[in-house]
Amino acid sequence: MHRLVRRGSLAMPKDNDSPFLLDQHKRGLQNLDRMARYPKTAPVDLAIVGAGAGGLVLAQRLARAGWKIVVFEKGPFWDPDRDWVSDEAGSHPLYWTDKRIIGGSDPVEMGKNNSGQGVGGSMTHFAGYTPRFHPSDFEVRTRDGVAVDWPISYWDLKAYFERVERELPVAGQDWPWGDPHTYPHGPHPIAGAASVAWRGALAHGVEMRAGPVAITNGSFGNRPHCIYRGFCLEGCKVNAKASPLITHLPDGIEHGVEVRADSMVVRVEVNDAGDRVTGVTYVHEGREEFQPADAVAVCGYAIESPRLLLYSTSRRWPNGLANDHDQVGRYVMVQGATQVAARFPTELKMYKAPPPEVSSEDFYETDESRGFARGFSIQTIGPLPIEWAAHVLADGHWGAALREYMRDYNHWTVLGVLCELLPAPDNRVTLAGERDRYGMPVARFDYSLGENDKKNIAFGTRILEEIWEGADAQETLKIDRYAHLVGGCRMGFTPEDSVVDSSHKAWGVDNLFVVDGSVFATQGAANPALVIMALADRCADLLKGKRSTAAA
Amino acid sequence: MSVPEGLPRQRRGIAPQMLGRYPDWNVLEQSRHWDDKTREVVMKRVESPPHILFFTEDEAETLKAYCDTITYQYTEPRIPVLSFIDEKLLEGRLDGYQYEDMPDDRDAWRLVAAGLEYSARAEWAAESFARAPEALREDIVAAFADGLLRGGPWEQLNVKRAFKLTTKHICQAFYAHPWAWNEIGFGGPSYPRGYAAFGADHLLDRERWEPKEEFVLDPVQDTKARGID
Repeated sequence: MHRLVRRGSLAMPKDNDSPFLLDQHKRGLQNLDRMARYPKTAPVDLAIVGAGAGGLVLAQRLARAGWKIVVFEKGPFWDPDRDWVSDEAGSHPLYWTDKRIIGGSDPVEMGKNNSGQGVGGSMTHFAGYTPRFHPSDFEVRTRDGVAVDWPISYWDLKAYFERVERELPVAGQDWPWGDPHTYPHGPHPIAGAASVAWRGALAHGVEMRAGPVAITNGSFGNRPHCIYRGFCLEGCKVNAKASPLITHLPDGIEHGVEVRADSMVVRVEVNDAGDRVTGVTYVHEGREEFQPADAVAVCGYAIESPRLLLYSTSRRWPNGLANDHDQVGRYVMVQGATQVAARFPTELKMYKAPPPEVSSEDFYETDESRGFARGFSIQTIGPLPIEWAAHVLADGHWGAALREYMRDYNHWTVLGVLCELLPAPDNRVTLAGERDRYGMPVARFDYSLGENDKKNIAFGTRILEEIWEGADAQETLKIDRYAHLVGGCRMGFTPEDSVVDSSHKAWGVDNLFVVDGSVFATQGAANPALVIMALADRCADLLKGKRSTAAA
Repeated sequence: MSVPEGLPRQRRGIAPQMLGRYPDWNVLEQSRHWDDKTREVVMKRVESPPHILFFTEDEAETLKAYCDTITYQYTEPRIPVLSFIDEKLLEGRLDGYQYEDMPDDRDAWRLVAAGLEYSARAEWAAESFARAPEALREDIVAAFADGLLRGGPWEQLNVKRAFKLTTKHICQAFYAHPWAWNEIGFGGPSYPRGYAAFGADHLLDRERWEPKEEFVLDPVQDTKARGID
């Protein structure tokens, strides 16, 4: 049988006209003048909190099914032509930089690296890697005796992975790991920096593949081809890299989605019995407003979703909405993302071509001989000068040495690991004493590594060093760091072990859903964006026949 | 001698202290290839660096000397690092997190200013941090980097984290500046032009407009050999 997924323009998605609703020569959305405006006096079918990977996919799908939807977004409604710059420091507004308190024995730094704001969410500044989870990721308790199983399996999500991959679209070589699959767009060319890494991997017996990245590599509606300028983490001014701002929202708007940007939801409100939500209270231009809704989907990600639920207290829910069993905010996970840079005699200019270039999942699954459960993936990274300075500082250089290492910038290239770190109950979001400008308590996030986690990171780091040895690197330089944020409202089997059930419905509240990365029970060694979108797609399929208003 | 021997003098445009590996590279000559919005943001950085409004005069004197020590900028032309940090703090454009054992970033910076003065006078018997000789300032900063400064304002900080915070902000400002891009040979903004040449091992490893490196040195070996790290 021939491949079901065909390459290039033949693989245009069905039921999502977003790429055609954009303009080839303008980056902003072209149908904003047609965007619905719903009154605040009557309930909409669904209020969505957060315009990111989860919220906007859910909105587009359900709008196609006839739902009236308002999406609330704390940050601005971006027009990449007007708002984004091809400049590292100038991209600060893309990041969620409101204060969070961090603690625990291994505190996780927030902001630029893992938190976004504005319509499109963190995907506006993610690197672009969109791997799938492996089938094993959903059953690590059964297979490896650690953490928990998910209440759904890879096979429940497979069709959604395929559909979303076609919509982004994902470019990469045929994928040999996990459930082997192909991609709608072929691989991007391999730049000098990435080919050095590949050579080292080959010498060390590690398999690599180009991709998978959500960056157009061919004709795709009105979205241009990538221009390989290396500013993926600064927001793609080209519209080549996917974010739901351009992959889902244009079609959503065409089918009745309203986005209220610059609107921070501060409480989800409930009825007197506390068994149903009635809408959301939000702050816009300094004023509190209320939007009634027949259902609410919280899609604010691993810190904001728990913070919102914890702060939405009522007589029925004194410890926070859907928090009868002290599960909200727990089991937040990050991935161990140590990076090892290597120096070569020739200039490599690692920032050219997409920084996410090639990756390996050779070490993804458990191998008992390594002495720990689960594994990691390996990916190339291409930090721009400010980010590269963070690497040099982390290695302990300042003054004359800092300047000299920095002058050598063009000679270095970077590989990173993404280690699957296991969920722990005390790695959690709570409310701090300090309040923010909306009057909400600031989130506090405590994080500590476990023994399995430390072994995984140490092993992965050693493999990176060996790959660079295989590539004949002259020097290496290491930075310990974390990437991504998932969990906090996890999906599970019972109200005692989780916040939502397998259909994303919050335990104990009939019409409250959580549809974002916070529902992850475990995180695999994969970047979370594609998985979040696939989950939202599946959730929409489960919900779409259940619209509660018959109103027209 | 803390600059490697033979490091070229900048011939075109400006590099900090007029030193760099790409002496004929002036990234600002490329600005007509940038999109309008990016050009506006980057040129403002070069042409009208912000005035110091957040820090007091005394704090600014101390912290300018501190920034110079961290970035090894002992002569003109200097990138006015503290001006950009001042603006960031004044506008509250912080980075999105605060360690539980640290004060707000704005308070942390003031405490670092006070702490450097305190240590310079109390432990190093200097007239002030800013007026101390470069070598003495480097000794104090080395102790700061190792988290060894104690007493006075330092008691209100996690000293190692304060070093990490301030050096992060300093590098954010320094390497955002086109003069630093000249020094390191960074291509700068590249929208809408982009790149087609990005292979290392063949003739197409450089666009015609990209800079040529004229001085190559392994910094790991060199800084070790000269004992400056």
